[in-house]
Amino acid sequence: MKRLWVSVVIALCATLFMFYQNGAIAEKSKEVKKAEVKADRNVGTQPGEKKEPVKSEGSDGAVTIQVDKPSLDNGGEITITGTAPAGKPVYLEVWTDKKVRASRFDAEVDKETGKRPYILYMTYEMPAYYKIFVPKDHKDTLARIRKEGKKWSFSKALKAVGADAVYSAPAKAKIDRYQATLMGSIIGSRGDLLSAMDDKENKKRSMQLVKARFRSPDKVLGPEVEVNPDGAYKAVLKIRHGLAPGKYSIVAAVDKNTRSRPVTFENNITFPNVYLGNAGTSLNLFGPFFLTLAISIFGVLMGAGGGFIMNPLLVSLWPLPHTVVAGTVMPTVLFSQGSGIYNYSKIKFINWKLGIAIGLAMVVGGFIGPKLTELITLDQFKFVFGWILIVLAALMFWQTTPGYIAKNKKEQAILKEFKKKAEEAARAKAGAAGATEGRA
Amino acid sequence: MIVEFWGHEFKVNIVLGCIGGFLIAIVSSMFGFGGGPFMVPLMTVGLGLPMYVVVGSSLLAIFFNTMMGTMRHYQFGNFDLIFFLIMFPAAVLGGFIAPQIAKRVSPLVVKRVAVAGLVLLALNLLGVY
Repeated sequence: MKRLWVSVVIALCATLFMFYQNGAIAEKSKEVKKAEVKADRNVGTQPGEKKEPVKSEGSDGAVTIQVDKPSLDNGGEITITGTAPAGKPVYLEVWTDKKVRASRFDAEVDKETGKRPYILYMTYEMPAYYKIFVPKDHKDTLARIRKEGKKWSFSKALKAVGADAVYSAPAKAKIDRYQATLMGSIIGSRGDLLSAMDDKENKKRSMQLVKARFRSPDKVLGPEVEVNPDGAYKAVLKIRHGLAPGKYSIVAAVDKNTRSRPVTFENNITFPNVYLGNAGTSLNLFGPFFLTLAISIFGVLMGAGGGFIMNPLLVSLWPLPHTVVAGTVMPTVLFSQGSGIYNYSKIKFINWKLGIAIGLAMVVGGFIGPKLTELITLDQFKFVFGWILIVLAALMFWQTTPGYIAKNKKEQAILKEFKKKAEEAARAKAGAAGATEGRA
Repeated sequence: MIVEFWGHEFKVNIVLGCIGGFLIAIVSSMFGFGGGPFMVPLMTVGLGLPMYVVVGSSLLAIFFNTMMGTMRHYQFGNFDLIFFLIMFPAAVLGGFIAPQIAKRVSPLVVKRVAVAGLVLLALNLLGVY
């Protein structure tokens, strides 16, 4: 048994190493691409940029944009400079090509009809990073929005800073709508797929999804653009750690029609940082590794699976969506449970009838549960988890009370006796088998 | 239902067990944990079974739930392979190290530490501090 596990660990380490190698290879090809982009920009920006205003925007004069470096290494600062028509605010829209999933369950009372719509909005095309940088004089407006707490509205915030006309990249994401029903939830389906929305509705819903995905106003709006009276502007963009690698596009805009052409930069992620495509976050892989190690040890010691502590810590420490956390932590315990069952079955310590009878009821529950995960927000996830942990703490406390310990001691003694008997039986059987083999 | 275990017979209210298991399974698969600490009290207190019957059989019941939950999460696209590959070796390694440590620490102390830790974590999640 031990040998089996060691081989499993080795195989996994090998797979992990392979992934790392793959990543390294991808990194190299990116390097080449980056060089191309750089060359392209050298040709494109300086002479091309100057020509463009004449071509496109005529009398107003168009917006130009330059970046100071072609790439970043897991975040950093990048300076954007350019010119815009004098006296107008300049907005910088930044997004990445990497796409993630975003979903929002609309169960709020509709003001017009007074009914709850129960519609699940879902897109697979939300940029993994999206932010609009607004002129510095909107700092106070943003501070006010931040004060609204969790109830802030992205569309209202955009209007407040005058950036609603600039908002464009996520607006084109294809959003699916599902009409959730009680029956559908019970049988575990997302519900009926509704017809596609028109562009205006799609844009409105995409703003709600931006909020659902990025949650805090600071993640999507930043007062960083310094605009001079003559129209020249400058902004130092802070790109934080742990974002998606790959190509980032920046467009400077003053209103809906006056926009610069996009410039790009690369964000490079190198080992031991890895990008989790499904979560849209990159993180240092040693963080979750050691956290899992510590908590799984502690979990075994306290006699509860590590999932209880793992999940809340993972969603609190890293910007991971709760759906991905729940969906990925669950399979990690599958194998330890499997080996536990194997060990218990060897000494005949499982009552199959009882286990399977309750197990069948649990299968039905396990069918419904994962569907509900995507209907709740992260805050609801944390809230319910908080109460679950309090109940768990109470159960644990009960297990340390004297009455429980006394009862447990007696049962442990019986358990030990049974185990001894079982081992003897197994040994006797093995001995008999060995004897027959020897004869053959 | 009559459950037989090493020559002993226990009478079990299976309806209660199934309803309890069903509810625990929904919550545990929704939030992505195993559910063992809830199953064990259900089966010892709710069904009146002694601990030595429960340990193995509850694990088997939970295994069903975890398998189904894993499949459904995968189906809904909640599974991240690289994230899994980071955590899985750590979980297996932890399973090896833990029994070595378990011999040296009192389970009572561990449980008391766990209670304190869980309460702190819960209050943090509920936004109390």
